[in-house]
Formats: sequence, C-alpha cells, structure tokens
Amino acid sequence: MNVYHPKVTAWIWLLGMIVISVLGAQVLTRDWLETGFLALLPASEQKPEIAKAIQQQSELINREMIWLTGAATSRQAIAQAQQLKLQLKQSKLFNKVLLQFPQQQYIKQYQKLFPYRYQLLDAQTRITLNNNPSDLIKQTREVLYSPLGQMQAANLERDPLLLFSRYFSAQDPLKLNLEQGMVILHDVNKFWALLLTDLEDSNLPLDKLEILLNLVNGATAHVQGSGGELMVSGMPLFTAYGAHSAKQEISTVGIGSSAGIILLLLATFRSPRPLLLSTLAIGSGMFAALVLSILFFTKIHILTLVFGASLIGVADDYAQHLLCDSLGEKNWNPRRGLHFILPGLTVGLISNLLSYAGLGFSPFPGLQQVAVFSAMGLLVAWLTVVLLFPLLLKGFVFNHEPGLLKLTGYWEQKWPAWAFKNKRWLSLVLLVFIAGGCWRLIPQDDVRLLQSAPAELTRTANKIRQLLSLSRDSQFFLVSGTDQKDWHRNEQQLLNSLEALKQQQALQYYEGISHYWPNADRQQENYRLLKQTLYDSALLKQYMNGLGFGKEAVKTELKQFAGSAHKELSLPEWLKTADESKQQLWLGCQSGHCQSIVALNGIKNLPALAALHSLPGVVWVDQVEKLSSLFKRYRIRASALLVSAFSVVWLGLGLKFGWGRALGILSVPLISLAVALSMLGWFGQLFSLFNLFALLLVLGIGVDYAMFFFMAGDRRTSTSLAVTVSALTTLLAFGLLSVSSTEIVHAFGFTVAIGIVTALMCAPLMSRLKAE
Amino acid sequence: MPCPGLAFLNALLFFLLSFNHSHADDVLAQITTRLAKTEITQGNFQQEKRLKILRKPLISSGAFTYHQSKGVIWKTLTPVFSILLVNESRLLTSQGEQAVPAALGKVFNSILGGNLNRLTEDFSITGFDQKPSWQLQLKPKDELLKKIITTILLTGDNELRLVEMQEADGNITRINFGQITHPEQLTTEQEADFERLSP
Repeated sequence: MNVYHPKVTAWIWLLGMIVISVLGAQVLTRDWLETGFLALLPASEQKPEIAKAIQQQSELINREMIWLTGAATSRQAIAQAQQLKLQLKQSKLFNKVLLQFPQQQYIKQYQKLFPYRYQLLDAQTRITLNNNPSDLIKQTREVLYSPLGQMQAANLERDPLLLFSRYFSAQDPLKLNLEQGMVILHDVNKFWALLLTDLEDSNLPLDKLEILLNLVNGATAHVQGSGGELMVSGMPLFTAYGAHSAKQEISTVGIGSSAGIILLLLATFRSPRPLLLSTLAIGSGMFAALVLSILFFTKIHILTLVFGASLIGVADDYAQHLLCDSLGEKNWNPRRGLHFILPGLTVGLISNLLSYAGLGFSPFPGLQQVAVFSAMGLLVAWLTVVLLFPLLLKGFVFNHEPGLLKLTGYWEQKWPAWAFKNKRWLSLVLLVFIAGGCWRLIPQDDVRLLQSAPAELTRTANKIRQLLSLSRDSQFFLVSGTDQKDWHRNEQQLLNSLEALKQQQALQYYEGISHYWPNADRQQENYRLLKQTLYDSALLKQYMNGLGFGKEAVKTELKQFAGSAHKELSLPEWLKTADESKQQLWLGCQSGHCQSIVALNGIKNLPALAALHSLPGVVWVDQVEKLSSLFKRYRIRASALLVSAFSVVWLGLGLKFGWGRALGILSVPLISLAVALSMLGWFGQLFSLFNLFALLLVLGIGVDYAMFFFMAGDRRTSTSLAVTVSALTTLLAFGLLSVSSTEIVHAFGFTVAIGIVTALMCAPLMSRLKAE
Repeated sequence: MPCPGLAFLNALLFFLLSFNHSHADDVLAQITTRLAKTEITQGNFQQEKRLKILRKPLISSGAFTYHQSKGVIWKTLTPVFSILLVNESRLLTSQGEQAVPAALGKVFNSILGGNLNRLTEDFSITGFDQKPSWQLQLKPKDELLKKIITTILLTGDNELRLVEMQEADGNITRINFGQITHPEQLTTEQEADFERLSP
C-alpha cells in the first residue's frame, strides 16, 4: 500500500459503522426473524395459479394442530379433553379450539340444503338409481327395519325415501363416532377424544413458539399426571421444535466459538489487546452482516443465524494473520505488517467471497441468506482489519514464544519432511481411503431433510395419522376449466378415476367440491333421474303404501316433488353452507378460468395417482417430489459449479505462478475435498446438495491456507502460527455446527470440518513445492 | 364361561355407584347376579317399530349373536334381509362402514351381554326386581342422545326378554328376545362374520 493514513482509514471505518448502526436501529426493531420450515423452500417454480393453490393449502397446514387425549374409557378421555380445552383457550394462541362438534352449524346446513333434496344426489345414489332403482327402496327398507335408523326414521315424514339423509351423510366422508358431541376414536386399548385448534397466526414469532412448546409439554405432563396420554401433532409444533433447537444451536456454536477464540488468543499473545481487537473485528462483522442481510431480505430465517454463528470462527482469520505477522519481528509496525500480508489477505477474502457467492447461486432462500450474511460479515471483518487495525496496533509487540509455536513448528517442518520421505505408501493409503469412501456415497435429495424434528414427534404424527387421516396429504390435484361447466366436467372425470383407485386401496379418500355440489345441468339430471325411476313409475307409491304411509302423505310427497322441478342451488350458495376446509377447495373463476383443488388423504400408491394428470384440465401437484427433484437438479448443477470454480481458481493461479505450481496449490483443496467426501461415505453421513456447497467453502479455505504457505517465504513461522490459529477457530465453529439436529446443518458442519483438518495437514507441504 | 375380570369390575362399579345411585345400585346388583353371564349369547328377536307417520308398525325378525370380546351380529331375516355387525369402535352394515352413533355400540354390547353396570356411565337407571321378573328404566345422560331417545325400558328374568325404546318424537321401538342359548363355541359362519369386524 503506497498511501498509508491510519487515521483517515479509521475515520472511514467509523463512519461506515455509524451508518450501519443507524440502519440497524431501524431494521432490528421490527419483526425480522422467520421460523417456519416453508420459508426455507424456494419460491415455486410453478405457474402462478399452482403457486396460489399451494399457498392456499399450506396456509391451512401452517395453522392446524391436532390434539388427542387418550384414556382407558371414553368418559375419562372426554374429561381430559375438556380440561385441555380450557387450558388451550387460556393460552390465547389459538383463534379456534374445537372439541364439541359444531351441532348448530350442522343443523343450519341441513336446513339450508334440505329444500334442494331432489337436486342433490350423492354419487352412490345416482349409481343405484341408474342401475336398479328398486335397490334404493330395498336399502331404505333395510335401514328402517334395522335397530339403527332411529335418526333416519325421524326424518321419514319429511323425506320418505331418506334421499336427503343419504346425501347428507355422504357429505362427511369420515365416519366419526360421536359421544356427547365429541369425536371419539378407539384403538386397541385406548379411547381418544379429538380436539382441533387453529393458530391465530400462521407465522408465530419466536416467543410465542416457545409458549406453544411449553404449553404442549405442560399439557402432556398434566394429562399423564391424571393417568392419561396426550398426542399432539401439526406443522406449528414442528416449527416450534425447529426454532427451539436452532436457538440452542446458535448459543452452542456462538459460545463455543467465542470461548475457543478467547482461550487461543490469550494463550498465544498473552495480552488483552489482540483479544479486544479480534472481538471488535468479529463483532462489527457479525453486526453488519445481520443488519445488511435484513435490509436485503427484509426477514431472515433462524437457520441462517445458526450458520451465521459459525462465522465467528471464520471472520477471526484476518485479524489473526495481521497479529501473528508481528511474531519475532524486532522493528515490526502495522504499516510493514499490513504491507506484507495484504496480498494474501486479499486473495483469502476474494476466494472466501467467491465460495459464498456460490451458495447464493442456489434457489434456496436459506442458502442465499447464508451467502449474503457470510459475505457481508467477512467483508466488514476484513475492512475492520485493514482500515482500523493499523491505528490501534501502533506499538504492538509480540516477541515471546507462544506454546502453540512448538506444535506449529513441528507440523510445519517435521511433518512435511516425513510426508515427502514416505510419499509412496502415504499416497497409496490416501487413494484407497478416498476411493473406498466415495464408493459408499449415496446421494439423498429429500426436501424433508430441511426439517428437524425429534423422532418422537414424527412417531406421534404417524400414530395420529393411523388413527384418523384428518390432515390432508401435501399432494393434490388442481382442476381447471374454461367455465364452470367445463371445470365441473373435468373434476367429475377426475373424481370417477379416483373412486376407482380408492376401490383398489390406492388412497383412503379424496375430496372435491363437485362431489358435493352438482352443477345446474347435473341438478336437472338428478331431478329427471328421480322422476323417471321413482316418482313417475309406480315404485314410490308402492313403497309408501307398503310401509304404511297414509294417502295424504303420498299425495303431499308427490306434490312437493312436482313443485321442486325448477329449483337450483348455485355454487356460492352451496359454499356458504360448507365448512372452511371445503370452501378452500374452490379457487374461483377469473377471466375465463375456473379452478378447484381436489384434496387427497392417506395416499398409498403415488404413481397411480400421479398418472391421472393426463386427464383434461387436471394438474398433479406434488410439491415434495417437485422440491426433491429440484434438490437433485441443483446437486448436479452444484457439482458443475464446483468443477468450474476449481478451473477458475486454477486459471487465476496459473497465470500468476505457472500451471504446474497452480496445480500444486490446488492439490490442497482438491485432497481436502476428496477426503471430506470419502469421510461422508465412511461415516454414512447425509450426502446432498448442501454438502456440495460446503465443499465450495472447503475450496475457498483450502486455497487460502495453501496460498499463505506458498507465499510465506522466509516468514514461515509466523505464517504457520497464523494459519494454525485461524484454522483452529474455524474448525471449532464448523465442528460445533455438526452438533445440529437439523440434518443439513449437521452435514454442512461435518463436511467443512473434515475439509479444514485436511487442508491444515496439506498446507505445509506447499513450502516444499516452491522449493522444488 | 365366566369372565375373571368381571368380578373386579363389578366390585369397583358398586363402590362407585354407592355414592351416586342410592336406589339403583341394589337393584342393579341383584339383577346382574341373576343374569346368566357367559362368553356367548345367541337367540332370536322380533322387532316392532311404531312410527307416528305410519299407520302400521314396521315388524321385523331375525337372529342375534353376542360375543363378549368380539361384539354383536344382528341379522334381520324378514321382511328384508340385512346384517349389522357392531363392536365398540366399528359398525358395519350391508351398506358399508358407518359411524357408531352415540354410545350405541356400548349400549348394544352391555344390554346383550348382561353387563348392565356399564350402562351407568351413560344412563341414569331406576328399576325394580320382583322375582321372577325385573325391570329397569334407563334415561340417557348425553345431551345429544337425549334428543333422540327419552327412555329405554329393559325387562327380563334370568335372561333379558324385552327392550323398549321410547323416542323423543313419540316413536317406539320394541324388541322381544326368544330362544336364548349360551353355546360354548361360535359356528364357523358366526366366526366369519366377526372376522369382518376386526380391523
């Protein structure tokens, strides 16, 4: 650096930090933290209407929670559920706590739809009437003569054929047992009472998620205390657990890294100044990273902060290099130090920034955030070192022999000598190790890896699903048509195919609006069907006379039927009577385009369902599969990115140092990468897209270390000290990431940690490279 | 075959009942001891439903089988054949799986199994025992059930002989039982029917 004005640069730094602080005061006071799992997924690559449907589905899923209290008798289960209901209401987290079946709503629905009974026929009734109308009479008689049918018999006066009873009970595809108006389920040895809740907000802030978690734990203990059992499931609970563990991980990684750095710095420099300066560099870097990321994304995910905490260990590197440079130099001053290490420091920054830029290349909001967060953090930490340290390091002396130096001395001199002497068999062992590990690698591309949930939570969710498949599967069909008539025809066609698949046990049930609401044509058709088969033929009269109805009753029924010929129930009217979950199936008509969702439960044969997308106007939406295949596609792209990153670095180094030497420098990250990959294989760790992004970092860090050694010249001792100290802190940070309960975070940390250890081992061999 | 757990259950229920039902418990205890308690009970029935809207009663007849742990087979033979299979969690008819209406499975099992004590959970019970016959009057506690059934009358001696259900809207259902036997084993046909009920 030719122009050296420590005071001027320090002022520039201070000014920059003041600007960031002012911005920070604005953004950090608003709600900037995201916790939901879905926020980590890329915005749909799908057409806007499909994206809208997905949004609609997930909005519901994000708020729904299912609670089941279990006990030896249904009475106990109900008592517990009633108590739980009070507890849940008191928490004020929910806008709906449903235990008692909404009977009033049911009655209202019955009354609203009853006038249209001759227009509304369920699918089964239509089939029966078309095939053999007298079967319908037979079935009605069966019901009337059986010891059941009490309820239906009460309707006989208004609905002699029990037509509307048939339609009405078909509206509720789940045959649930009610006791005191509550849904009671029964498994081998327990009765379960069902409680449904809807969270007030689909995106709960962190403190409310903690309250939710405490509520679940408290309620579980309470129910267990009175001899029962509580099962809870729902997306919010998964989110709450994820946020909870992320919070713990942030503090584990943050505190662990900080403690490690403090110990290392104190042991190495034996003076508080380096520690304070490092803290300043890291602190400004992290703070600026947080503020700038929020400015950029408006909201950042809690998982980004878990990664961000690992930045402590990386941002520290630049400070270490400058501080260590002073080792043993009698006439050291910041100016000379900076002059000497600035090229290496800059190459290091650029290679790190490039590798993080690679993360930003992915479509995953989480990784993009990590990329921006890390890049900003590193840049500001670097600027702090370059702009501010020269002023603050004036008069810094470092002339004792730190204990660490013995270790680094051995590692930097003895180890390369030994390695070169034994290079034949060492390379053979390495080769076998790498080949063996890589052979065992199995790529995984499941989107659910992003979610961390305790095994017990997943087990409970599965158990609940076995008891009752109330929650819809994430896969669904989107049905569209140019107008209502076209849409209705398309959906009916799909529902017919689904019925056939249901008979083959491919799924438990499906739900589409046209299953309940026949359109105007169909309503007329239903009426005509009844007219032909029952009312105009002698069947109705025969049946009514045979059963013992009076003549008046027969006349009234015929008159009512005749008077209902032109009735028509419109879709909006029907929707008003339907419950929320059915209403949400209808997406509406816009500019010559009508759309609906057909929801699915308990899918057992996915390919058979997916094959139905060939029907007219039908789109199969499988977001899980879509995202998983996106993972796969990007895993392949990321591999290509990695290869091209290596090529670019080789090109850059080759132009400066010659192709052979460039290859030599690159061998450090290359071997680190291979070892990291094979270790994943040997330990059976997750290998996905995210490991490849971790390898990008390994490339950056590996080049970094190799460069420092390659360019160290006669200052090898101070370089090796700097590299060791920074590697140890980085290692600590990423090593701590691998304690994460989120699979991908764990895999990320594991990969980088192994890569750094290997790079640290290989880097000293570089000094030989230059000599040879 | 007597059930070993039954004695304990009875004792427990009597203990609990002594707080709530000062009159019914003695009667219920006397009747329960008189009823033959075996694993299997089978017999014929004749059902008569009187609906206000109809000028003549709906009369049907058939056969029933009760099995202590498996549930009930209710076969209507005349005038239309139908089969109804019920236990405490499932209800199957010729028209497929149905929701078990409030407490129905329990009522069915308790009444036919002579396990009257269990009914105290869902009904308030009064009655008398004038040998050789007894009668119990059951009134539902469940608000929903109350809207449908006002009273169930049970009459019997050492077997249950008559069930009469009075409904809220004035309809009456009367079921007479006859030819009651307690075989040691189920027939293969009965076994097959129960098999359909097991999940």
